[in-house]
Parts: sequence; structure tokens; C-alpha cells
Amino acid sequence: MKRNLITLITGAVLIIIFALLLFTFQVRQSEVAVVTTFGRIMGPPCEPGLHLRWPWPVQQVYKFDERIQNFQEKFRETLTADQISLITSIYVGWRISDPSAFLNSFKDGSVTAAQSQLESLLASDNITVVGKHPLADFVNTDPKQLEFDQIQTEMEQMVQSELQTNNYGIQIEFLGIKQLGLPENVTQAVFDRMKSERNILISRAQNEGQAEAIKIKANADRQANETLADAQAEATRIEGEGVAEAAKTLPVFQKNPELANFLLSIDAMKQALNQRSTLFFDDRIPPFDLFHGALTNAPSHRP
Amino acid sequence: MSDEHEHNHHDPAPGPVTPDDAGSQALAEALRSSFAIVKFVMVALVVIFLGSGFFQVGTQEKAIILRFGKTVGQGQEALLGPGLHWSFPYPIDEVVKIPITEIQKVASTTGWYAVTPEQELSGNLPPPGPSLIPGVDGYVITADRNVIHTSATLYYQVDDPTRYVFRFVSASNTIQNVLNNALLDTAARFKVDDILYSDVAGFQDAVEQRVSALADQERLGITVKQCSVVSIPPRQLKYVFDQVTEARQNLNKVLDDAHSYENYATNSAAAQASAIISEARSAQARYVQSVQADAKAFNALLPNYELNPGLFRQQKLVEVMGQALTNVGLKAYLPTSANGKPIELRLMLNREPPEPKTGAPAQP
Repeated sequence: MKRNLITLITGAVLIIIFALLLFTFQVRQSEVAVVTTFGRIMGPPCEPGLHLRWPWPVQQVYKFDERIQNFQEKFRETLTADQISLITSIYVGWRISDPSAFLNSFKDGSVTAAQSQLESLLASDNITVVGKHPLADFVNTDPKQLEFDQIQTEMEQMVQSELQTNNYGIQIEFLGIKQLGLPENVTQAVFDRMKSERNILISRAQNEGQAEAIKIKANADRQANETLADAQAEATRIEGEGVAEAAKTLPVFQKNPELANFLLSIDAMKQALNQRSTLFFDDRIPPFDLFHGALTNAPSHRP
Repeated sequence: MSDEHEHNHHDPAPGPVTPDDAGSQALAEALRSSFAIVKFVMVALVVIFLGSGFFQVGTQEKAIILRFGKTVGQGQEALLGPGLHWSFPYPIDEVVKIPITEIQKVASTTGWYAVTPEQELSGNLPPPGPSLIPGVDGYVITADRNVIHTSATLYYQVDDPTRYVFRFVSASNTIQNVLNNALLDTAARFKVDDILYSDVAGFQDAVEQRVSALADQERLGITVKQCSVVSIPPRQLKYVFDQVTEARQNLNKVLDDAHSYENYATNSAAAQASAIISEARSAQARYVQSVQADAKAFNALLPNYELNPGLFRQQKLVEVMGQALTNVGLKAYLPTSANGKPIELRLMLNREPPEPKTGAPAQP
């Protein structure tokens, strides 16, 4: 009967779907699953894909997120090696590395339980590691003395080894300090110190400026004077050169020193008797010597 | 096809089942038609079921198909680009879409004072308290143990979408922690004045490098595109920090003034010096030339002089006198007195005779 065949096929499909739901399970990418038979863990964890199972209550499937999960610690006040109170907050990236061990360690594979376990581990390791280092290892102007990375590595190794020893099935992928702080009352003291540092900088800037400006100006004056003095010296030298050059013509004048002197006097006189001079003559000086004896009425001219 | 098939075989069927009962025939008819409707609905459901497997991937994303939870394809082949794609519908396949070309942004959370975004937008900031409260006010400690606020914004691109999605529960959260850590760590290496004033860009670059290094180390599968950092002194100390800035600006101004004075002084000295030297050069040249000219004249005059020195002198003197007298402003002739006594002459001279005539009042 054809009608019955169709009914059968439909029924078979429904049964197959139902069976698939009962006897298989999917593990999604990024997940890992552990199968227990009557509560006992069976075989290695399941990779992503489709898997077979016996239905409940024979077998049970626990799926875990295999990805790296973030966890960050709350603020924690610790003492550094040099007895300075420091507030730190740590973040970690952790993941379930061994699902079977994880399931054994925490009831029903509870992530919350795992995180609180992780938190207590971090807390004690944080205190231990910070207590081994002075504040100068955390903040330092000299990069060689700064041990920020070492501190983080130390913490990471410590947490990692403790996780392994206890076989929690958890692995730390990375660990870092998220925040460094100081207790509230200390910040006030730091403010006061910063303020006085600033004040020092202010007065230094003022005084340095004045001193430097005076230095620059004095230096400039000195340079200017030197330049001028050099120029004067050079001018004198040039003048000397001129005199030396002129001296070469001296032998010419030596042919007749009398004439030379006469010519010089004449020149000097020419220059002296330029405009705006007043001259008084008597009759012995040429060309007025022409008047000498020529003016007989001269004495009668006088009162 | 199947409909036709069934009709052909059902046609002879009514014969043996119900020969002449009109009621049961009508029932069979009704059953048959309702059965056809059910079949049609089932086929439609199958088509809709398969059709629901079509999905679209946008230009700025990639998609990965998970078949029974497992990635289809390996590595880059698993990534589906933009366009229309088909997969089996749930529960066989699952489509995971990952933003990729889009630049993602994340901001640091641990370096700034307590303020909500609304307060920041409105500019209505809470007044600074006398101290910083741990867990409420964020800040970083600098290398010289100052406390400042700093905030970083990181822009990044997802390089390895598979890792980004399948290796981290919340990759952006991890990146935020990395950014916070980088900010803290970099601040611990820089001095407060470098971060705030003298090496702002250097600090920013160092933070960016640190983030990149950590992202590589923790294999986040991202590329850092840009990292911008803003740093301010604690608001409680803003006034005194501003004063330092002001003092430094004044310092620069004073120094600038000094330098401009220096420039002026040295330049003007150099100008004067070159003036002195060129003056000396030209004086020298003039002097030498005049001496040479004199020598030439001397050579020319010498034969004349040697002919009769007395006459030559006389002539020359008269000539010069003549020239001089034309130039001179005032001339006075005093003849010798008859009795041979010298004539007494009194002159009244101004200290500075402004005019040639002032020296005039000479009375014989």
C-alpha cells in the first residue's frame, strides 16, 4: 500500500530525528566536551563535531568553553619590600586546559567555583611577589632597574605552578597588572610633594631665565666690542699700509727738500684759508706789499 | 510529480473499498483532498527549511560555517567573503559572522578620574576631592613617582578572525586589559614632565609599541592601527602645573628677548666694523693717491724751482694768496704805522661764530 509507505517513511524520519537527538551531541568550535558513563569519565575529551552517546541516565555530556577567559582581581593593598603600601589589581587570561581534571576539581565543572579558586591563588601570590620587590622595581626612570615585566612573570609562574600542582585543569595564558595605586591618604602626601616639586620648578625657571638672559646679553656685548676693536686694529693696520705705500714716494721729495717743504706749506695754507676765515694783513705780506709806501695818506687816516 | 503519481494509482481504488455508499465516498473524497493539502504544506516546509540556509555576508565582515559545531574548511579557506552564501539550516550548520575590515575601538579604563560619559559631555564635571580614592579615581604612577591621569584609545583591526572569535571569550575585553597594562607600564618608565609636556608623542608611541608587543605575545590576532593618549595632571594640582607652564613660557620669552638682543648687538657691531674697515681702505687709497699726485707735481715743478727758487716761491705764494683771498670771508688790511709802532687791534669773538661776518668788528 502506497499510502502506508509514505506514513512509514514519515514515521521513520521522525524516529531518526528523535534518535539523533538522543544518541548524538554536537561540540561547537571553541568548546570541548567530557562524557561520563554512570558518573565515570570515559575516554579523552571530544573535539568539535558530531559525536555519539548513550542517552541519559547512562551517559552524561559536560561541555566546556575552551577559550581564554578574562578574570580580574579586585583591588588589593599590599606592602612592597621597602614597606610602602601599594594597591594592585591583576588581570589574567585563563582557560580550561584539561577538561577532565577541571570536572574532577570543580562540582559540575562550575566556572564560578574555578574563578573563586583562582582569585584566592592570585591574592596570595600577589602579596608574596609584591612583598619581594621595592617600589623602585615598579616605577623607575632607569629602564634597566625597572622590573615590571619580571614581577609579572614571577606572578604568572607562581600561579601557573600552583595550578599544576593541584591539577585544576586550568592554565594561565597571560597575566598582567591592570592598575597600580596608592592608599587614599598617601595620595594626599604625594600631592603635597608634587606641589613643592612644581614650586621648585617655577622658581628655577624664573631664576634660570634671568641668569641665562644676562649671560647671553653680556656675551653679546663682549662679542660686539671685540668685533669693533678688531675692526679698529684692522683700520690702523690699513692706515699703516697706506703710510708705508706713501713712503715709497719719499725719495722723490728728497731731490729737493726745500721745495717739498714749501709745497707742503702752500698746501696747508690753501686748506687753512678756506671759507669762513678772517684774514688780517700788513703790508709786508705779498701781494699787499704792493701797498707798501704807495699809500702816503695812511698815517693821516688815523685820528 | 508525486501528486500525479498518486492520482493515477488512487483512481481505481474507490471500486473495491466502497461500492455504492455515497456517504463514505464523500468522506474518502474529503480525506483525499485534505491529504493533498498536508502534502503540499510538507513540501513547502521542506523548501522553506532549505531556503532558510541562504545568508548574506556584508563587505566589512567574514563568515564561518560550523557543521555540527566543527569549522568547515581549514585556515583562510574557512572564511567566507562578502556575497550570498548557503548553508544547511540549524541544527546542522551554524553561521558565525565576524567583523573584519571595520576598525574597532577600545578605551582604557584605569587611568582617569571618576567621571561618567554624561558628565563629560555636559562639561559638568564632579569637583575634585582632596585625594584620589582607590577603585574610584584612576591614575598612573610615573617613573618619578608623580600621580597623573591618562587615558588611551586604541584603534585596531582583526587580522585573524578565527582566533579572535574562537580563542577568546571576549577578545575586546582582553585588549582593554592589555591597553591598561601598557599604559601603566609605560608610565612607570616616563617622567611626569615628559608625559605631560616634553615628550607627549614619545609616550604615545611607547604605549602603542607596548600594546602591539603584548598583543603579539598573547596572540590576540589583531593589528594596532592607532593609539591616542591624553594625559593631564591631577585636577587638584592643575593650578600649580599651569604656573610651571607659564613660568617656562616666560623663561622662553626672556631668552628669546636676550637672543634677539644678541643678534642685534653682534650684527650692528659687524656692520660698524665693516664700515670702519672700508672707511680706512678708502682713506688709505685717497692718501696714497694724493701723495703720489704730490710726487708727480713735485717732479713737474722741480725744474722750474731750480731755475730761480726765490722767484718761484714768490709766484707760488702770490698765486695761493690770490686764491685764498677770493675764498676768505673777510679781509682786513693793516698798513704799518708811520712811527713804526705796532698797531693795537682788538677783536670781539663769539665763542662760536655762526656767520662769517661775526668776526668782523675790527677797528683800526
